[in-house]
Amino acid sequence: MATKIKKIRRNVTLTLWEQSYVPEILRGMYITLEHFFINLWGLILEFAWSGREDRKIATVYYPEESVTPPPAYRGRPVLVLGADGNEKCVACGLCEAACPPQCISIIGAERANGERYPLRYTLDGTRCIFCGRCEEACPKEAIVMSDDWRNLCEYDRSKMIYEKADLLVPEEKLAGRLAFIRDKAFGKDRY
Amino acid sequence: MEILMFNLLGGLSVALALGAIISKRPVNSAINLIGTMFCLAGLFAMQDAHLIAALQVLVYAGAIMALFLFVIMLLNVREKVGAESRRQPYWQLLAVVSAGALFVPLVTLGGGKILKFKEAASGFGTTAAVGRLLYTDYILPFEIASVLLLAALVGAVILTKTKIR
Amino acid sequence: MTLALVETAAKIAFVFGLNIGVFAPLLGWVERKQSAVMQDRIGADRADVFGFTIIGLFHTMSDTIKLIFKEDFIPRGADRIMHTAAPALALIPALVAFTVIPFGGHYTLWGHNVNLVVADLDVGALFVFAISSLAAYGVVLAGWSSNNNWSFLGGLRAAAQMFSYEVAMGLTIIGLVMFYQSLSLVTIVEKQNEFWHWGIIWHWPAFILYFTCAIAENKRIPFDVPEAESELVAGYFTEYSGMKFIMFWMAEFVEVVTISALCVVLFFGGHHLPFVTDAELISGLGGALYPNFANLAAMGIGILTFIVKVIILIFIQMTIRWTLPRFRYDQVMALGWKLVLPASLIWIFIVGVGILSGIMPRP
Repeated sequence: MATKIKKIRRNVTLTLWEQSYVPEILRGMYITLEHFFINLWGLILEFAWSGREDRKIATVYYPEESVTPPPAYRGRPVLVLGADGNEKCVACGLCEAACPPQCISIIGAERANGERYPLRYTLDGTRCIFCGRCEEACPKEAIVMSDDWRNLCEYDRSKMIYEKADLLVPEEKLAGRLAFIRDKAFGKDRY
Repeated sequence: MEILMFNLLGGLSVALALGAIISKRPVNSAINLIGTMFCLAGLFAMQDAHLIAALQVLVYAGAIMALFLFVIMLLNVREKVGAESRRQPYWQLLAVVSAGALFVPLVTLGGGKILKFKEAASGFGTTAAVGRLLYTDYILPFEIASVLLLAALVGAVILTKTKIR
Repeated sequence: MTLALVETAAKIAFVFGLNIGVFAPLLGWVERKQSAVMQDRIGADRADVFGFTIIGLFHTMSDTIKLIFKEDFIPRGADRIMHTAAPALALIPALVAFTVIPFGGHYTLWGHNVNLVVADLDVGALFVFAISSLAAYGVVLAGWSSNNNWSFLGGLRAAAQMFSYEVAMGLTIIGLVMFYQSLSLVTIVEKQNEFWHWGIIWHWPAFILYFTCAIAENKRIPFDVPEAESELVAGYFTEYSGMKFIMFWMAEFVEVVTISALCVVLFFGGHHLPFVTDAELISGLGGALYPNFANLAAMGIGILTFIVKVIILIFIQMTIRWTLPRFRYDQVMALGWKLVLPASLIWIFIVGVGILSGIMPRP
């Protein structure tokens, strides 16, 4: 948008004609009708939009076209699967405590080499509000909000209680989100 | 054809008026009264009084009865239930006696004979005719009625206006 | 006798078929599509029949079928008769008001005089206002009979708004009635044969005032407070679903058409083409040689012109709806009583002076 400096008149008494708001209504109608006719010609003939990217129809024709969400988008929470084949989660319970609808339920156990790991990690998909506090609370970057918004609907509520196997995603697939929360969201200067 | 319409409209208006009196709920009673006004407008139209018929619907059924409805709804006038709804024989007797007292002179003095009417002049009941009469012969009652309405309007405004501090 | 009956039945079928069958569903589609195109988006265009989506026109059908199958309930504690009667009371006046609107002129077809209006009353304009004033009852009863506090308040507010603007609406037309010297809409259309006799030429302030009052009467945006789609759920018809809900919506759309038709008849010459009088049209189509077919063709052109003008006015109403924000309720009432009513009274005075002094030559 070009920045124009407009002089704004305040505290003026309107003339009778202006008080009836008819000129204002006509001005408003001119703007909407401009949009209407340009879009109408564009829908029919396409040439009205050439060179005017800000004029095109904003609708994304899902499911033929689709939208890639921005990096800050909070989709379904997923557990990060490290390179060694084990989840990064150490079952500390901070995400369970931070979750507002209390949809996470963890039972921890110890491995043979002394590492803690979640024996059972249950995330109730019917309760999750996608707020991202689990991601913020986690000290190990083990749970992140992916950009998955498609596979969230089921016909059966019992299928929406996600166990650990449903939640694990390899680390390479979540590189973008991990970089985001490292640099932009929870960096040192933002804490 | 005319007799059929007259019987229909007249019977309907009597039935609705009875409904307006008998109905226990005030809102139903008001709706019945609106229907009665409508039928009366139909009867006016049958007698070539088109302007009066249209004005009857516009003013009476359209505006005045709406104000009746407003008052009923705003004051939440309810049907009487329980102890208050028992029959009140003395009032009913009084109502029958006074209705009879009004009805008897009507029948004895006027009814029974078929009155001869003059043929209505052409242009009877049109806006031009009514307007001409109202503004020439009957100008004084017209102006007095409008002053009366003005007094009612001013009175209503004064009654409801709160003092501006 | 029977021919007159058949003719009247045909006219009634045409008028009501046009209103309910064509205009009401079409207006639902127009509202979605026009608003979408104005707001830089595509409207609803996914409903298809065997793979054909004709720019979303099937959505009206699918919406109607869906709403018919919805459960029709009456809320607990509500007045059953009033709850059922209110949508009818809202819809019927909007339809009945169309009976006095002439959608064509006088034509002689095979020796028979055809007047394209369902009922040629000599108090036509007053009849329309009388019948529209009954639509307020549907609103009040809908609000009251829902046993819901907020619906009740919405219904009362809507009714107060409608009654305020009815008064002003009647007064705005008086100047026009003085000018054309008749209350009958057929006579008013007849007198607009020439372009310079159209109502809009001399009475454009009356057009603006009447348009405002009519939109307020119909509770369209900007006078949308009773419905207030984004604030109250649905105002006075919150507790309605299924077929009754459709009746309220249809009443609103049919009244949009009625208002546009009235504006066309009073201000824009009805069925007349702008610079062509009726006689010129008939003789231009070969009236001397084939009078019947010329009259038939002129009748068709007249009806088509009327419909085109009504569509243009509907388009303007829809544009206003999607352009303006909503008035606040006290602004609505102040506008009605403090601006429109005095303005219409002053306009009557101006028209009187103009006619008496000869400035406005009467047709």
